[in-house]
Amino acid sequence: MWQSGNSKVISREDQETLRSAQDIINQLSVILRNAQIHNPGNVAVTTAIDRFLALLNPLMARDGSLTLQLVGEYFYCNDVRIRYALEYLLNFDYLAREFKKREIGTVVFLPGLRPSDVQAFLKGFLAAGFSSAPFDALRDHVSPLERIRVDILKKIAEGERDDTRKVVKKVYYNAVSFSKGVMTKIKSGEKVNIRKAKRIVESMVDHLLEEESLLIGMTAIKDYDEYTYHHSVNVSILSVALGQRLGLNKKMLTELGLVALFHDIGKIEVPSEILNKATSFTEEEWKIVKRHPIWGVRALLKLRGLDPTAIRSSIVAFEHHMNYDLSGYPRVRRYGDLDLYSRIVCIVDQYDAMTSARVYSRIPLAPDKALSIMMERAGKQLDPLLFKFFTNMVGIYPIGALVMLNTRELGLVYESDTVFLDRPRVLIIVDRSGNRLEKGPVVSLTEKDPHGNYLRSIVTTLDPNKYRINLAEYFL
Amino acid sequence: MEPVGESLTARDILQTLIKARKNVRMYPDNNPMYLKTVDETFARFSRYLGEHEALTLAIKQNTIHHDGEEIYANPEKDDNFALFFFKDGVRELTFRRGLNRDEIEEFLKIIAQEFDREQVDDDVVTLLWERDFENIHYVVDEAFLVDIDEEEYERKAEETLKERLTDPNDLLRAYKDGFQGGEKTDTAVVPLSDGDLQMLVKELEKDAAGKIEKLVVILFELIYLSEKQAEIEEIFQLIREAVHYCARRGDIALIVHILHRAQHVMQEPSLKEGGKDYFTMLRYELGQERVIACLAHVLDVGLEIDTGAFGQFVGFLDKNAIPSLIHVLGELKTVRARKYIIDALIALGKKDIHAIAKGLNDERWYLVRNIIYVLRKIADRRATEHLLRAVRHSDLRVRKEAIKALGDIGSHDVVQTLRECLDDENGEVRIAGARAFGTMGTEVAKKIILEKASNKEFRDREFDEKKAFFEVLSRWKDQAVFEFLLETLRKKALFNRARNEENRACAAYALGLLGRKDAIPVLRSVGDSCGDFLRDFVHVAVRKLEGDQ
Repeated sequence: MWQSGNSKVISREDQETLRSAQDIINQLSVILRNAQIHNPGNVAVTTAIDRFLALLNPLMARDGSLTLQLVGEYFYCNDVRIRYALEYLLNFDYLAREFKKREIGTVVFLPGLRPSDVQAFLKGFLAAGFSSAPFDALRDHVSPLERIRVDILKKIAEGERDDTRKVVKKVYYNAVSFSKGVMTKIKSGEKVNIRKAKRIVESMVDHLLEEESLLIGMTAIKDYDEYTYHHSVNVSILSVALGQRLGLNKKMLTELGLVALFHDIGKIEVPSEILNKATSFTEEEWKIVKRHPIWGVRALLKLRGLDPTAIRSSIVAFEHHMNYDLSGYPRVRRYGDLDLYSRIVCIVDQYDAMTSARVYSRIPLAPDKALSIMMERAGKQLDPLLFKFFTNMVGIYPIGALVMLNTRELGLVYESDTVFLDRPRVLIIVDRSGNRLEKGPVVSLTEKDPHGNYLRSIVTTLDPNKYRINLAEYFL
Repeated sequence: MEPVGESLTARDILQTLIKARKNVRMYPDNNPMYLKTVDETFARFSRYLGEHEALTLAIKQNTIHHDGEEIYANPEKDDNFALFFFKDGVRELTFRRGLNRDEIEEFLKIIAQEFDREQVDDDVVTLLWERDFENIHYVVDEAFLVDIDEEEYERKAEETLKERLTDPNDLLRAYKDGFQGGEKTDTAVVPLSDGDLQMLVKELEKDAAGKIEKLVVILFELIYLSEKQAEIEEIFQLIREAVHYCARRGDIALIVHILHRAQHVMQEPSLKEGGKDYFTMLRYELGQERVIACLAHVLDVGLEIDTGAFGQFVGFLDKNAIPSLIHVLGELKTVRARKYIIDALIALGKKDIHAIAKGLNDERWYLVRNIIYVLRKIADRRATEHLLRAVRHSDLRVRKEAIKALGDIGSHDVVQTLRECLDDENGEVRIAGARAFGTMGTEVAKKIILEKASNKEFRDREFDEKKAFFEVLSRWKDQAVFEFLLETLRKKALFNRARNEENRACAAYALGLLGRKDAIPVLRSVGDSCGDFLRDFVHVAVRKLEGDQ
């Protein structure tokens, strides 16, 4: 597999653009928020417009124009993808949501832009929010303007995604086979190649930054024989995805991915006849299984000696079942708060475990059901703040959820929509006539008809496990 | 075939890079050679990138290519620049226009790393990835991440999964059930608020703190959670490692915390038998050279140290630490660091004076002098025998320190040796001996100094020496000394008048120090009828006595 170290060449100028563009997007969001409260002529709006133009003009002077584009969940400014800084997160999300509502894909600002142009654009933008054909309404308002142009939101071509999917699959299976190798090596007393582990996680981080939903989709397939290895990788992927939402930098994401990958390493000490037992554990067996966090610490520190990675991994291995309120295991005497990474891993570990078919718990929960149970645990077992970020990440209908649409189509949630959390992209597996589809279309539930009504909406959710639906058939 | 045109330039740049890598490995980053290397390499790239958009190098196992032409080849395994990148999966490197000096320097630092060493956890790709250069790009082949026996993993896993095809009847059942209402999800996603973000920022700030403290807490919890003696032993080994880790980072406060907790855990009923042993083991670990040397390094490089914690740390040390402390004392470069170690030896030395005294056998004079200082500060008479030996050391500085120490100890055993010092051929030793007697302050000491100062030959000694002796005498503020000084002050001579004037000046000086104001009339009368040299000393003495008044 070939992978470029930097997917796009970013020059020094681009770097400056990135920084300025973050401010510009943030400021545009501020203008729109203000304009929704005040009249466009109000001083709060005009001051915000002046600031917006002050940010915009240097870039336009340099590049001739400024093109702001929404592709997928990301904004691009003059073709440079803008990364989300934590302090701008809410405003970025807001702007993306407002763009999507109005089906705006691109806004081009041309030199000579005046405050009156921006005010006219604002009027059109606000009016479009109430229109059944929002983009057309906006275009009607904007077309007389000489210095602002708009274009409709484009959909991502499926062909491009197929190639990426292959790469993502490879990344996922590399990680699982590595995870398997690590456990085997530790059992036999061999050394573990930590450099390789880092490279694997770096690769996952890269793909999560670029193609988050595809890699998360891989974690939704739960029918593997080797639960432990897949679970470790799934927890690592979901932890990194959540870490990304929390604004962790690349280095921190790698560290988080690594410690999450090793969180269950103590299970190598649990006798396989217990781990692979087909029936429920006895009290004595549970007692043994519950010691795996303790064994994890010992295994990790013996494996690597004390260094920052080993220390953090040991902490997470020890704490990941302790629960936010310390009600879990191991029981401790004098203890402070759980580590941030432990609280992250605790959430995704529960989610992945609940939605997986484990040997001792054959029937997994449907993703949305698991999320609903976890919601009750937030504030007790789970960190409520991190859980909020988690639900905002996976959406109301997580990837892999089986949904019935009002169009009498049955589908699987294929990709979450970070703006419209209740309107994911869905892979249709049974059409409206009840025919099974081998390769059905992937539809976005945000799509609307010319009257502004949604084309499809979720009516009910079903448990894919109850109907033994093999997600691999559809997701691989 | 020899490269031509652009590839020839590319080859030259590559050679510059290889040479620069060697220099960066060899010199510290403040060395002029290092700085020159980075500047030259940057200049080389800048010239090329001024004319071209980018420089791309294709990397194979033993060769590097530019524009299809081979510009580097090395069939050997060692020092192979192509293999250096190839083995970690790098297949292409591109330097783009806009490359700046910082990027070049960082890149050189990365390629200067010795990745073959086991303790390096990163490979070249990881470092390039973490650094995320704007103008240096790379292409990697990730195939090597998969073990040979795992190559088929993906295919096998997929096959297994796809064997379990969804039963069309189940799917139909799901479809039908979908119309029955199924289950409506009751999950509600609450949008994130500004307050959430603020809380998150606080969490992230909190997370930046070190993690070793938490691990220590866990290790002690593990002791309570242990079910077997062997497990406890294992945990204590890990706690020892934690101590060592803290020492490497200079975290003395945490080491002290660990020891306090270990002391507390010792009381644990389940540990009663072996508890004391574990604690002793930890204290012993503190004194090991690997721990002491780390701390010494931290002290030497000037990291801030919690003085209170250091004191507590020393309190936990056992006497096994003495040889390690002495060893590092000889290696330290800064006064500050030496002071910390000397203080530790002073505190610890009482436990084993002979272990401290072993340091006197070292060949380095400065270390021996420091050890004598330690012994002097300990002020234990058991050190006398060692110090007496040190008085005969070949280095004058050591001898002086030893004499001073003997004066501080001041026992009867040292008198003879100090007396011999007063007759030493070296004036500095004689002065040191006199001062040592002054420190002793005994009657015997006074008599000896008086005797020396009264001696005929004493008059011919150097002025500074005589002044030092008289200064010593002034410490005994009694009648005998007073009278001796007055007598010396009044004494006139027909011959050797200059030497006699020096003696009188010394006496005047000492009278000033003695502090008896009844000396003033005598001093004044002498001052009225003497030469300039003596008059100056008399005036100083009078002023001092009047001032004291």
